Amino acid sequence: MTTAQVTLTSGFSRRYTGGRREFEIEARTLRDVIRALDKMYPGLGEHLEEETTVAIDGAIHDAPGYFQKLRQGSEVFFIPKLEGG
Amino acid sequence: MNDVAPSRYKWVGTRPIRPDGVPKVTGRAMYGADLAMPGTLYGKIVRSPHAHARIRSINIEKAKALPGVKAVITGADFPDHKFEYIGPERVAVNFWHVTRNVMAREKTLYDGHAVAAIAAISKEIAEEAEALIEIDYEVLPHVIDVDDAMAENAPLLFEDMITRGIEPAPTKPSNISKKLEFSIGDVEKGFKEADIVIERDFKTAAVHQGYIEPHATTARMDADGQGEIWASSQGHFVVRALTAKLLEIPVGNLRVTPAEIGGGFGGKTVVYIEPVAALLSKKTGRPVKITMSRDEVFKATGPTSGSSMRVKIGVKKDGKITAAQGTFKFQAGAFPGSPVMNGCLCAFAPYEIENQHTTGYDVVCNRPKSAAYRAPGSPISAFAVESVMDMCAKKIGMDPVDFRLKNAAKAGTPMIYGPKLGHGGYIETLEAVKNHPAWKAPLGPNQGRGVASGYWFNGGGESSATIQVNADGTITVATGSVDVGGSRASMALMAAETFGVDYSQVRAIVADTSSVGYTHVTGGSRVTFATGTAVVDAAKKAIDELRGRAAMIWDVDVEGVVWEDGSARPASSNVGDFKPLSLKELAGKAAATGGPITTAASVNAGGQAPGFATQFCDVEVDPETGKVTILRFVAAQDVGTAIHPSYVEGQIQGGVVQGIGWALSEEYIYNPKGQLDNAGFLDYRCPVASDLPMIEALLIEVPNPTHPYGAKGVGEVNICPPMAAIANAIDNAIGRRLTELPMSPPKIRAALDHQAD
Repeated sequence: MTTAQVTLTSGFSRRYTGGRREFEIEARTLRDVIRALDKMYPGLGEHLEEETTVAIDGAIHDAPGYFQKLRQGSEVFFIPKLEGG
Repeated sequence: MNDVAPSRYKWVGTRPIRPDGVPKVTGRAMYGADLAMPGTLYGKIVRSPHAHARIRSINIEKAKALPGVKAVITGADFPDHKFEYIGPERVAVNFWHVTRNVMAREKTLYDGHAVAAIAAISKEIAEEAEALIEIDYEVLPHVIDVDDAMAENAPLLFEDMITRGIEPAPTKPSNISKKLEFSIGDVEKGFKEADIVIERDFKTAAVHQGYIEPHATTARMDADGQGEIWASSQGHFVVRALTAKLLEIPVGNLRVTPAEIGGGFGGKTVVYIEPVAALLSKKTGRPVKITMSRDEVFKATGPTSGSSMRVKIGVKKDGKITAAQGTFKFQAGAFPGSPVMNGCLCAFAPYEIENQHTTGYDVVCNRPKSAAYRAPGSPISAFAVESVMDMCAKKIGMDPVDFRLKNAAKAGTPMIYGPKLGHGGYIETLEAVKNHPAWKAPLGPNQGRGVASGYWFNGGGESSATIQVNADGTITVATGSVDVGGSRASMALMAAETFGVDYSQVRAIVADTSSVGYTHVTGGSRVTFATGTAVVDAAKKAIDELRGRAAMIWDVDVEGVVWEDGSARPASSNVGDFKPLSLKELAGKAAATGGPITTAASVNAGGQAPGFATQFCDVEVDPETGKVTILRFVAAQDVGTAIHPSYVEGQIQGGVVQGIGWALSEEYIYNPKGQLDNAGFLDYRCPVASDLPMIEALLIEVPNPTHPYGAKGVGEVNICPPMAAIANAIDNAIGRRLTELPMSPPKIRAALDHQAD
């Protein structure tokens, strides 16, 4: 099983995880990460899906999707949703 | 024109005429205002003339009774929505705010705020009815400027607004909707390590996207609750979603067709008149058409934010930046949702700086609600940061391009919001400028040269495409992406390349919300990347289908069929001695081999590459009048693979021109009552062709591995550098550092009257 380093922004962590920003989570896909975080903080999964953009190893994905694959040591950052013009 | 390197592609990278070219230049393209439908009523929006007022009462009875008037509505006719922030605020998903921006309820918050709407059989009757609407306003003190709006005892737009993002939460309300902070490293430690620290304040004015086509819509709601909307919009799926939400009708009941669009730049990614037209149509049982006048566009549609900023950069004598800090206060307009977060995240993004801190404030004020404008937020913070970068380079005696090269971000550089940058491309833009023959060209009296860079995330996200292989071998590619920049040509090029057929065989169209899968807005520089990926995926599915048809005709396994140069061929001589079957031949046999060949693909594209741009310009300043003339403008940008180089160049030129207007002449001018004095193109001065030299676009092609043809988003980042490039050039010309936009002649004259810095 692969382990991902997951980080939330301080604003998000203040609102939903009591200030905890960093997590090490066993996950093969982003779905696993979201599910694990939702288990720790019920309801967090929906907030992550609705309100964040995710960067996986530097690659930005507009919306977290269940299918995005992770590798051992993947860096996953949930950041506020980005928008263009 | 760029001589891009010989391509390994046959079609991608070429410059065919766009499919919408002939209709547009012959005046036949159908824009939002061109739709004519029998029985259509004239829709007119009644707007507040006050910057800030409480609505004591609205009496519409006399207006309703006027012969020829079919309906009059106010805010009370729209369902109300829960006060709740969800997701990306700037796209206004606090529907309590959205519905009040579409039509005011308790208060009007800006000159031009919609308070009522009329549907009548003619424009004249609608105007007569407007005069019969009696509105009792209690005029309130107003506030326009962002610093004024943040001041103690500023007039409050919302008496219960408590700033989010501050712990513990303030007890007193203010106009500050939100505070944001981002940091990496330790800026205090970083500044202590610096040999030189430069700190400066900057202000920018709100500027409008300036699209040449005002908003226009026609809505037809039928008695069974279903309806259709035609709209000038960058995102008809978003028009559908927002209108359905605001009117509380099922999304599936609405079909939205996008018209040709005469510019949007982000300003047409939201709704203003569509829900109003739909509600008037529902009430009258007839189609209703609303078109905005230019006056209304300026008064009541989102400009981007004005700002007040402070940037501080610490640097060692050898040119290494040790710390960077920025405070960015952005005007949100009447409702929260400025792009200040983007401003905070993009400000220092072109650079590898160990210690960074940015703070952002989203501040409401009595002007129209801000909307996205080309790389929203990033151009604003770039003006401040790239000006200070120039000041640092000058202070340590280093060439400004070399200074940026010394600190340039590359793949693996940590970003202020956490992740490491996934793609390079910035260094190449700096080197392109440095190697440009004009970079060292001599300058004359009162002339100066300035350089600046910029960054933008670029977008990905949801896009859909449908491909039909027609019986004669032509191909129709339908996507959900409104075409603002030549994307139909790009989609056709990518499809032609994938199929291996002639570009002239492929027709790309934009389909309505019922005819193609969900597609997010055309914006965020996402279409060539995300929708292009969907088109290629759909094409590949069609190719698999065509291989299957050939296998059926030859009575072999499909694994024995390959697709090359637009034809199905046996994979080897072992499969059999068969002549290739062209796409045209297979299309002609579609019915016999299983039916129409139609495929679809939908993607949620991610892993997009960001945009980097570096630009330099030469200016001449007339010391008598303060007028700045742009003599030369060179814009280098990493574009990935240029699918259609002419349209990539066009995007770069367009962004630069908008940046020039932002730098030198565009601003909102309010009178003491908070009413907009320059709501027209005569007095809101955008650059026109005669103001400018040819903008030279340098396309740097570093292919993006996450796109089938290497494309990167190109539409937006080019508006980030121009303001600072021009400010830096003016400083180089006259030895004066201008820190307030626009750098119009009175400001240049005032600077010349003062001592040099």
